[in-house]
Amino acid sequence: MGKTKIEIDYSLCGESGKVDPRDCAKCLKACDPAVFLMHETIGKEDEQENPYDPQDWRITPIWGSLCSRCLKCIEVCPENAITVEW
Amino acid sequence: MCQFCVKHGAGKKWYLNARNYKADVLGSEEDMVNYLEEQWMNFETVFIRKIMGFSSKNLGYKMKMPIIGRLLRWKAENMIHSEKERRNAQRADGHFGQAIPLEDGIAILSELAEEPILCNYCMCRWMQRGEKEAVCLNFGALSGILEKMPRFMPKERTNPIDREEAIEILEKNNKKGYIASVWFQPVPYINAICSCESPECGGLTLRENFGLNAFYKAEYIIDLDQDKCQGCKQCVAMCQFNAIRYIPSMDRVIIDYDKCFGCGICRHACQHDALKLIPREEFPGFDGEY
Repeated sequence: MGKTKIEIDYSLCGESGKVDPRDCAKCLKACDPAVFLMHETIGKEDEQENPYDPQDWRITPIWGSLCSRCLKCIEVCPENAITVEW
Repeated sequence: MCQFCVKHGAGKKWYLNARNYKADVLGSEEDMVNYLEEQWMNFETVFIRKIMGFSSKNLGYKMKMPIIGRLLRWKAENMIHSEKERRNAQRADGHFGQAIPLEDGIAILSELAEEPILCNYCMCRWMQRGEKEAVCLNFGALSGILEKMPRFMPKERTNPIDREEAIEILEKNNKKGYIASVWFQPVPYINAICSCESPECGGLTLRENFGLNAFYKAEYIIDLDQDKCQGCKQCVAMCQFNAIRYIPSMDRVIIDYDKCFGCGICRHACQHDALKLIPREEFPGFDGEY
């Protein structure tokens, strides 16, 4: 299997989108091989009000090579923020 | 015994050496606390931080690249096992674990683990599945740090728990099918017993999918008594490593000993006493295969 390119449109989901991935997380649950990773964003330490409780989160399709191309993530995403190409 | 028992076990298994449970095992307790605080404040960003200019994103593809792939693997292994004085806490240098059977987990929790013991959310499962489940047991210096971080602490249980309760939680999770594991953080300081699941566990996913040794097989391996197996298939559903398969023609299961991590979870499902854990070194061919 060749490379699979998974992308998330962060204007729709994540720290600048209207959906907080912590409330949704549908793609994380739908993906059998667990390709997605929900994490705190980096590079904004100064703006962080409380370092013990970060507020900005996003989802990164981190283990792309494990993707089995089932496209269930696209099906469940309420914002249609995910694209998968190969 | 594995290489870490030889190096950090003082003649025993590494996780049975009481010295490794003291926060001053490397000298300064303050340095240890600082490391852990920085590591846990940045816990969820560990995989997106860069190593030699590469983040872990699409690690599988990157490691297939000629030369660069081999360099990345070498660098990642060095990071995971780092015993250098100045370790990068944000990248969790020196943090790796090993599967343990329930019995060893109970031995650790009943005596060796330093109080206070906390039960907090598994962050791996949260990051990979969006599920908050309080299954991780942390002890010693790490507990003092996690107490301050609300995102790790279940609201219903923010106070330290006693040893009996910790054992109860571990046993419940083990019987449910989670793999007990003990963690260096950073090596040789031990401060956590987790109940892991593949592929959500950060260590297991690195080991299973990319062959990085962030998670080791147990000091044990399963031994199937072929005459006792009745072919009920219950154990097959328990194994997270696809090490057990049912064979209709013989009406019994077969074990792929190469895949067995020696966690002993399958034993909970066997009603016929056919599955036993034996020390890995007593199993010819699999001695030294961690």
